[in-house]
Amino acid sequence: MLEGAEFYFNVDHGYLEGLVRGCKASLLTQQDYINLVQCETLEDVKIHLQTTDYGNFLANQTNPLTVSKIDTEMRKKLCREFEYFRNHSLEPLSTFFTYMTCSYMIDNVILLMNGALQKKSVKEILVKCHPLGRFTEMEAVNIAETPSDLFNAVLVETPLAPFFQDCMSENTLDELNIELLRNKLYKSYLEAFYKFCKNHGDVTAEIMCPILEFEADRRAFIITLNSFGTELSKDDRETLYPTCGKLYPEGLRLLAQAEDFDQMRRVADHYGVYKPLFEAVGDGSGGKTLEDVFYEREVQMNVLAFNRQFHYGVFYAYTKLKEQEMRNIVWIAECISQRHRTKINSYIPIL
Amino acid sequence: MPIARQTSTTYEHLTSNTHAVCSSRAGVIWRPMVCWRRRASFCDCYKTSHVTKMLMGEVMREAAFSLAEAKFTAGDFSTTVIQNVNKAQVKIRAKKDNVAGVTLPVFEHYHEGTDSYELTGLARGGEQLAKLKRNYAKAVELLVELASLQTSFVTLDEAIKITNRRVNAIEHVIIPRIERTLAYIITELDEREREEFYRLKKIQEKKKILKEKSEKDLEQRRAAGEVMEPANLLAEEKDEDLLFE
Repeated sequence: MLEGAEFYFNVDHGYLEGLVRGCKASLLTQQDYINLVQCETLEDVKIHLQTTDYGNFLANQTNPLTVSKIDTEMRKKLCREFEYFRNHSLEPLSTFFTYMTCSYMIDNVILLMNGALQKKSVKEILVKCHPLGRFTEMEAVNIAETPSDLFNAVLVETPLAPFFQDCMSENTLDELNIELLRNKLYKSYLEAFYKFCKNHGDVTAEIMCPILEFEADRRAFIITLNSFGTELSKDDRETLYPTCGKLYPEGLRLLAQAEDFDQMRRVADHYGVYKPLFEAVGDGSGGKTLEDVFYEREVQMNVLAFNRQFHYGVFYAYTKLKEQEMRNIVWIAECISQRHRTKINSYIPIL
Repeated sequence: MPIARQTSTTYEHLTSNTHAVCSSRAGVIWRPMVCWRRRASFCDCYKTSHVTKMLMGEVMREAAFSLAEAKFTAGDFSTTVIQNVNKAQVKIRAKKDNVAGVTLPVFEHYHEGTDSYELTGLARGGEQLAKLKRNYAKAVELLVELASLQTSFVTLDEAIKITNRRVNAIEHVIIPRIERTLAYIITELDEREREEFYRLKKIQEKKKILKEKSEKDLEQRRAAGEVMEPANLLAEEKDEDLLFE
């Protein structure tokens, strides 16, 4: 790709970048969060959200207001915005958007496969699928009897086909544990996305590649942490690590051998980026968990993406920040509705 | 009189037997030991179930909050979990326990099989999911305990009601009936004794009158010289029959 994106980026994508920056400006600020935390009931939360960009999104809800209703409505709003961006995009931004939706598609496919294998009605499962991960062949899932059939008949048309092929090279889909399949798919997805961004070059690569590297390493750490004490073998674990991060190849090899948190920490200490993150992890129930620390770092990187112009990373960053905001609001709403306010400030602040 | 004696012994026999019954008028003393023991375990049951219910509230609250925490970190895993349900991991067995004559069912839980959700949340939120699993496992155990307590509470309640009804029936129906029978018998016996007494008295009177009459008669006849005194062997000086003197 030629350098100098500032010359021709705006021709195709300028309008959308402007739009997404406008949307980013309407993310909830610290003051909004302080107001939300002081609410006593979910009705108060609704009133406060009306003053933000969310507006009257809960206006048509019947009483009583529940946290899941708030969550669904927020997700609908995000989907509307995302679909708008996607429908107005041109290549290669459209491919970028497709890559972004692949992660949701993976979750949906796993859900559908599970449901189809257990002969559950497709309609029920479709309701539960993530709307951003919708693909056209979704309703056709119930014609398949086994996962391989499912793949050959249905999934081969979706953008997920190449990811499945990576997994199927070792053993057939039938024998794979559903969680392992999910993680393997995600690994190939992440690697493909990384390659796409890198090939695109330019500012996009400069912004997106570090973000995706962090995502890959974060997954490696979390998978290692969560597989202590389970029956996941070290070799299996290693096959789930995405290789597009900073940890590849040495760190991943060391991680695969790790058996407890301290060994993991020692691996992280070799890398200047991860050492301070691990140091910020509190122990036991009081301090932050590793996942919280990773979430904060992700939010930081996403916010920084808006400091550069003329790249696709703003769309990715905006979606991720919006999701984090949704998670924060749902967390605060849960704390309020369950009257368990001790940890209400454990949301991840964004701006 | 043999007959009177017999009736009086019957009377005594009856009183000694129902003496305990009559003291039930005081109410408390006679209630059988069984009743009291059942009441005691009933109170125990109630207290324990009250404590357990409060604890249950706390544990459920904690578990619901850990669900919110897990959802924050791991996203929405509820559909995955619900879809992968096959066999139960925690099962309960029902045993019978005998308390004060009442058989109470007692539930105890046991684990079977491995955790099929071990790898859920492998990439996100595994720690919170593990905490969630622990909290809800605790909640389930408490629920089982509560179920045992509740059933024993209800069964004991039934048993105590039945026993109470029986006690009341005996106290207010059977015992008064027997007492009335007793009173009747006593009055009957009294009356008969009075009759007997009266009869004896009358006979004595009559005899007296007869005796007086016969004496009078004798006097009269003696006075008229018709009465021949029979020979008095002791007073006689001369005996005619003696030939030689």
